Amino acid sequence: MNDLHGILLACRSDANLGELTRHRNTCSLPFGGRYRLMDFMLSNYVNAGITDVGIIVHQSYQSLLDHVGSGKDWDLSRKHGGLRILPPFGYAERGGDYRGDMDALHGVSDYLRNIRQEYVILAWGDTAVNLPVAQVLQQHLETGADVTMVCTPTLKGAPRFSEYVEVDETGRVTDLSVHPVMASQALESLEVYILSKKLLMELVNYCSAHDIYHFSRGVLQPRLKTLKLMSYIHNGYVARFQSVSGYFERSMDLLDPKVRDDLFNPQRPIRTKDQSNPSTYYGPDARSTYSLVADGCMIEGEVENCIISRGVVVEKGAKVANSVLMQGTVIKSGASLAYVITDKDVTVNQNRMLMGHLTYPLAITKGATV
Amino acid sequence: MKKEVVAMLLAGGQGSRLYALTSHVAKPAVPFGGKYRIIDFPLSNCVNSGIDTVGVLTQYRPLELNSYIGSGQPWDLDRWDGGVHILPPYMREGDQGTWYKGTANAIYQNIGFLDMYDPEYVVILSGDHIYKMNYADMVEQHKKTNAACTISVLEVTLEEATRFGIMNADENGRVYEFEEKPKHPKSTLASMGIYVFTWSKLRQYLIDDEADPNSSNDFGKNIIPKMLDAGETLMTYRFQGYWKDVGTIDSPWDANMDMLAPGNENGINPYDTSWPIYARTPIRPPHVTGVNACISHSLVTGGCQVDGTVENSVLFHSVTVEEGAGVHYSILMPGAVVKKGAQVSYSIVAEGAVIEAGAKVGAPPSEDPDWGIAVVASGVTVGENAQVKPKAMIREDVKGGEQA
Repeated sequence: MNDLHGILLACRSDANLGELTRHRNTCSLPFGGRYRLMDFMLSNYVNAGITDVGIIVHQSYQSLLDHVGSGKDWDLSRKHGGLRILPPFGYAERGGDYRGDMDALHGVSDYLRNIRQEYVILAWGDTAVNLPVAQVLQQHLETGADVTMVCTPTLKGAPRFSEYVEVDETGRVTDLSVHPVMASQALESLEVYILSKKLLMELVNYCSAHDIYHFSRGVLQPRLKTLKLMSYIHNGYVARFQSVSGYFERSMDLLDPKVRDDLFNPQRPIRTKDQSNPSTYYGPDARSTYSLVADGCMIEGEVENCIISRGVVVEKGAKVANSVLMQGTVIKSGASLAYVITDKDVTVNQNRMLMGHLTYPLAITKGATV
Repeated sequence: MKKEVVAMLLAGGQGSRLYALTSHVAKPAVPFGGKYRIIDFPLSNCVNSGIDTVGVLTQYRPLELNSYIGSGQPWDLDRWDGGVHILPPYMREGDQGTWYKGTANAIYQNIGFLDMYDPEYVVILSGDHIYKMNYADMVEQHKKTNAACTISVLEVTLEEATRFGIMNADENGRVYEFEEKPKHPKSTLASMGIYVFTWSKLRQYLIDDEADPNSSNDFGKNIIPKMLDAGETLMTYRFQGYWKDVGTIDSPWDANMDMLAPGNENGINPYDTSWPIYARTPIRPPHVTGVNACISHSLVTGGCQVDGTVENSVLFHSVTVEEGAGVHYSILMPGAVVKKGAQVSYSIVAEGAVIEAGAKVGAPPSEDPDWGIAVVASGVTVGENAQVKPKAMIREDVKGGEQA
């Protein structure tokens, strides 16, 4: 138990993910065979003892609603507190997308005002990381920081979508650059912040009154001297998703046991929607090597270097290599795939051959039949 | 609130014939079919049949079963009105309270629970059968025939009939005689241990039976014969489909092997979404196959790591099969580990058991009359290069190099 409230920002759809985010918010992008991206941060919150979580959504959040449901799979279906989905109810008069994270927070300011915890953690729901949030809070309290931001020394994002920080010997942030042309600094921000509810409300009100809508640019950069902004260094694995090939590479990262041990740390398990799938069945002629395979699949063909989601069917005689098959994909007999990402419920018919490349994997739209 | 139908699931049995598998848990909590425990089948059948109030009568080693059932959430049985209730024996004022003496006594001791819901019909189920069945159809027939009791029956062979309770019924399905394990069976309709009773009738029979000092307070031995003697209408309900009693050590092995034929008439199809079997599943990432993995005709579950050979086997969650290890025609329960070069054949390896490198457990069928399925109980370690003979039941660690 602690005095921390979780806010999860699930209100951006990354245009650079093309087909993969055409029907969904980036936070509900399937990843790792059985997860959606938001599962990671949401589980991080729950594993830190957070009991109240608000998820800010704006567009294309149908699949997100379907996934989180009442929050019971994260033990967030509660009489007191628990999970709240926050659509843009206070934002109707302006219309359009939220312009930035402060815009989104202002959109739900009534909700924020009623937060009963003293501290708030803000994070985007589209980062795959197993973050010890309780330790971040502890450091926040020990250093007496106004804002603590989580940074990683392993640069993962593309510079033009990422934020970088420079810190002094105490870990205090001395410079912050947003979306630079090149990553010149050593630490990348994960855009995960802990601050007090009181400070958050002051900042939301100030930003609303001054039409500031970007937290890093509008709040943190001008206040580097007046706010005590501390970095928390997370050395574990971090995956961010800013392009289709990036999504493919991060998926393949999971075939490395070190990455899996870190991301699926059994002490801080990543929870997801329970679908009561049976075990995966391998047929008499099946072959499965160096792959991650979720439950509920029927594998009768050959898979190698693959990430395979729940309920996938690979028929006898089909060959799939170096590919990511999302939920409900059916690969019929004789088909052959390499460097392909199939979205949900894709069917690849008999004897089709599909081939992408490591640097340009072929992504097939949800529900398509090839 | 009043309910038309309440199900009572008898889950207190020790399952002594399964003893290596039930040394830590009640029989209904024994893992089954890769993802499930035995009790998931009757519980899921209840929910799929529209029965939302279920009493689970526990007695033997209830801890794991209790925490498995929990609030009933995995089966959608966490409800304001009804839901799943764990019913252990309890103390009462005046007398000392007793353990459940028999199946009928277990229900007798919970008359108070049933009275709270004041049902028209009570469905009695047991926790050691694997099957899919729509109880609503059975209740419907019970109502139509205005029976006091309806007994679900299955056609068995004449040879098998000597091991079951046999219902001799007329052409309308009305039972005129019941024989427990007859030497010379007159019919081949075996009772499946699934009953629908009109509650007001059963309630009185339970009270009378309790007052009879010579009764063993058992449905099959006492209640059914007494109802027949009194001229009540007892009807058979013909069940067709897969049904397996998993009461002996070979039968859970058999039944797990049947799971390897999904879509086959001779097994349960867990992939059939029209009658899903629900389970409480632990949080595990997808399973991983290594570069040396060779898996065929097998079930593999989340959290497993397979880098050896697995064929004709069922792997529950979090099982590890290391490089060079072989698993053939075996059941590996949650968390079992088979280390480098170890060979497991025709065996059941229970939860968390470890087969060290080079060990050999079980063997393929042979002419040897002593051949059988080897069982390694939960938490047991079989040491390096040790051997476990076919049909052995290993409940204590086997030291490296030794034979057991």
